[in-house]
Amino acid sequence: METKQYPQPPDWQRDFPYRQEEARLVTRREFSRMLCLISAAMVTGSGYVAIRSFWKGKSEPAGRFPVCGVSELPAGGTRSFLLPGSNTPYILIHLENGQFKAYEQKCTHLSCAVFYKAGTGKIECPCHNGWFDANTGEVVQGPPPRPLPALEVVVESGQVYVNGPA
Amino acid sequence: MSNFRRAQDQAHPNKVSTLTLAIIVVQILLITLQIWLLYSGLNNTLEHNQDVAIPALIASFFLFLACCGLLYFLPGRKR
Repeated sequence: METKQYPQPPDWQRDFPYRQEEARLVTRREFSRMLCLISAAMVTGSGYVAIRSFWKGKSEPAGRFPVCGVSELPAGGTRSFLLPGSNTPYILIHLENGQFKAYEQKCTHLSCAVFYKAGTGKIECPCHNGWFDANTGEVVQGPPPRPLPALEVVVESGQVYVNGPA
Repeated sequence: MSNFRRAQDQAHPNKVSTLTLAIIVVQILLITLQIWLLYSGLNNTLEHNQDVAIPALIASFFLFLACCGLLYFLPGRKR
């Protein structure tokens, strides 16, 4: 007796079968177990954060570092710089009121580079329209969850110095 | 002796279905809390505030235990 060969159903039909027994659905029981796995992943993440909060890894640079001369940076001007032994970019800002401020140049949201918008007293993160107060580093608007980490600035004999974060 | 499992097995399928869904909803709520704890712990750690990470970890662990404990109340398979 000759058996009739049916062709293989196309891919789309295998992905969206109309017969119950052909369906390879995730049952609610399996979904519930998967939720437990996600929950375990959250505990692992929290554990990692807890360990990192007490872990003293690579030390931050300490001491006083010269950045530039006072006359080199006009009011409203900025200068990016790196501290020796660190890859973290910083930005020195000469505010219109004469003060010098130094902040990490990474947005606290997703680490985009931030820029001082001259004349506004605000630092802008162009990626997601985040804004920081240039006087304090506090978040003014947008998604950043934390203020910008600041460095202490010292002006001495016509030279601008910053103190390392350590 | 009767127990909750026997009663559960004899319950109407609609009730069993409601119970399953309720357990899944509670698990999702617990995971939402865990996400919030992870986010808070991370932000506080990055702000050099170490007081949050350990309590967040402990709370997250207990929520995980609760999430696993709920599996016990999932209705049994239909034989």
